[in-house]
Amino acid sequence: MTKSAVPSDTTALRDETMLRHVRQLGSARDGLSEWRLQRLTAIALVPLSLYFVASVLWLATSDRVTAAAWLSSPLTALLVMLFVLAGLTHALVGLRSVFLDYVHTRARLVAAGLLIRAAAVLLGGASVLAILKLFLGH
Amino acid sequence: MARPTNRPLSPFMFPVWYRFQITSALSILHRLTGVGLAVGSILLAWWLISVAAGGELFEATHRFLTSSIGIVLLFLWSVAFFYHLCNGIRHLAWDAGYGFEIRTATRSGYAVLAMTALLTMLAWLCVFFG
Repeated sequence: MTKSAVPSDTTALRDETMLRHVRQLGSARDGLSEWRLQRLTAIALVPLSLYFVASVLWLATSDRVTAAAWLSSPLTALLVMLFVLAGLTHALVGLRSVFLDYVHTRARLVAAGLLIRAAAVLLGGASVLAILKLFLGH
Repeated sequence: MARPTNRPLSPFMFPVWYRFQITSALSILHRLTGVGLAVGSILLAWWLISVAAGGELFEATHRFLTSSIGIVLLFLWSVAFFYHLCNGIRHLAWDAGYGFEIRTATRSGYAVLAMTALLTMLAWLCVFFG
């Protein structure tokens, strides 16, 4: 075994690979960390989304008092907040990967990326505020 | 730094070179349902705001969601949700290195469709008869 620095040996345990330095052919940006974020949020969303959907089914035939009361309990507020944030993060990475495949102009890609990021921040911020209002107002 | 041109871009395979396969159909369906669910996050935020605001806003939201358009939207979102959930678990299994055999991938694909139908049916039975 020689001591020559093989790129894969020095970078194998880090998020950034030598691909970051690739030009022209292949990803030179942040593919791997997005890939990991997509899977992490996916795993988190399995229980969180099932909890949310099961709860909404339980609420489905009830009126406002029940929904507001449900959201003002600390555990619910926490879990729904995590569900919304994990969901929006997951959606953001997913939408970006769709754009990467079908939007072929750099300027449009950047514009679309900014647009969905702004939308996600707005929706996430509004949702968190709504949940906090119900939780703190309880 | 001449950019390579005339490289094939993503959807180039579809109409000409690809015949129908359950695996590729489910793959594109995963994306479509994902985009649909992302759009649905607008409704989710809206609903949370309406619950927090209460009063007329909540009443209006509730009326919309229980109208026929609202029910159809919620039904489509429920199908998209259960499909994306089941197929997402299939994807996570692939990420962990399982189920790559063509026979296995085909079978797990049909299993995902069956689970989607079953879970959607159960959910709506809960709504109407729960």
